Amino acid sequence: MPDTPTGVIHDIGYQRYEGPRLGRGYATRSLFTRNVRAAYGLGRSAWAKVLPIGLLAAASIAALILVVVNTQLPIEVIDYVGIASTFTYAATVFVAVVAPELVSTDLRNNLVALYLSRPLRPRDYALAKLAALATATFVMFAGPMVVLFLGMAFSTDNGFAGVIEEFGGLLAGLAAAAIHAAVLAAIALPFASLTGRRVFATGMIIAVSLLTAPISAILQTLSEDAGGQLAGLINPVNLLNGVDRWLFDGGVFDVGPYGAVYGLVSLLVIAVGTACTLLRYRKVKP
Amino acid sequence: MNTTVMALTARALLGRRRVLLLLPMPLVLIGMTLIGSTASGVEASEWGPTVFGNLGLSVILPLTALIVGSSVLGLEIDDGTITHLLTKPLPRSEIILSKLCVAWLVTTVATGVPLAVSALIAGSGALAVGLVAGALLGSLAYCALFLALSVISKRPVAVGLVYIMLWENLLVGFVDGARVFSVQQHATSFANAIAQSDMLNDTVPVVTAMIVAAVFVGVGTVGATMKLRSFGLTGEAT
Repeated sequence: MPDTPTGVIHDIGYQRYEGPRLGRGYATRSLFTRNVRAAYGLGRSAWAKVLPIGLLAAASIAALILVVVNTQLPIEVIDYVGIASTFTYAATVFVAVVAPELVSTDLRNNLVALYLSRPLRPRDYALAKLAALATATFVMFAGPMVVLFLGMAFSTDNGFAGVIEEFGGLLAGLAAAAIHAAVLAAIALPFASLTGRRVFATGMIIAVSLLTAPISAILQTLSEDAGGQLAGLINPVNLLNGVDRWLFDGGVFDVGPYGAVYGLVSLLVIAVGTACTLLRYRKVKP
Repeated sequence: MNTTVMALTARALLGRRRVLLLLPMPLVLIGMTLIGSTASGVEASEWGPTVFGNLGLSVILPLTALIVGSSVLGLEIDDGTITHLLTKPLPRSEIILSKLCVAWLVTTVATGVPLAVSALIAGSGALAVGLVAGALLGSLAYCALFLALSVISKRPVAVGLVYIMLWENLLVGFVDGARVFSVQQHATSFANAIAQSDMLNDTVPVVTAMIVAAVFVGVGTVGATMKLRSFGLTGEAT
């Protein structure tokens, strides 16, 4: 027997990928849209939809009731900015539930390292998550406002001018909603990104808004004008109501002459929250 | 009751840095009382209701109970270590009762002690006793409720949060009947029945409060036991 070689290397057709590489921007955009959808449980199980969609539906129904009240009573009981102010409390529940869904589950299942093994940078990941949370919260405010706008626009007495007037109100309301959403998201996401446990993440976020409300109330009773008018700064809901009062003359919190302070602190909260999130994701593990 | 299960639960709950999570809220409560009592020219009746009612019994108590109550069993379900517990020859009721007992004790200590200290700083011994009693009743009802939620639902904290924030704090303000099913009101009524203090605003008759709270505890414990008997092991909530 001649010793001819018997082993053969088969060409089984491995190929290099030569299609387009979609890159960082595409990955960031995908992460953003996926997370906005995930915030409302779209593309997930029915149970995941119950809470966010339920809250949105409840808020929209409340807006519908307000349309009826507004049109039946001679005076307008609530306007668009009023919706942003009043619904802030419910929106804190929303961010406390949704923010841990967006970031804590990734930490818990060790997914962050997988995301970052793609062209996505840590900064993109953090900003996409933050933007997704803010957008989802914005929808939470915008939904009831659109319901109110449709109701008021159809029942207006002034014809087209009335519709235009309502539309102006809607724009102001949406601007307020954007501020509210940005501030709430910037508060919630850094806390949620600290732990992989949704229990503790939700607990921390809600402690910030629930615990500070009575503290702010106590400081208001204890101190005179200036101290009382500045006491709202430590509670997110009062802070945002103060901003509404300053910018749109809405809101239920008396800020006195310190409206600008409230605006400044809100900006600061957004900046610090974003910075903390970016800083947090420089490492995968907290 | 099973002491081994209780000891392991207590260790999982309080071990390592976890116990630090329970620390800030009592400190805030005592701090606010100190600020209130040292501020000159303000009567205790002005800040007292806010500190003991709005901060103590309606925020710190439910929040502590939510975190503790839903994590005694919830963490085990999350981690999958519940399988070890379920394969042991223990009656399911014993598991639930042991977990509930630990949660109750921890919540009562974490809320009752700072409440009592604050009441003593404010200078009322009867109020301190009343608040501890309120914390005892409230934390039992809350813990039973949240423990049951953690077995029944995949999102116990979210559901519990909606109950605390939207039912107890928001809806109660608009609909009077909702008070009857609010544990926070039960605790307040019970505390005030003992303390007879003007610092607490109770709105539910104490007998009603105790009956409904007892129903909550009973339904929570039995519901959790029943659910644990037919517990299906699934993956992470999707």
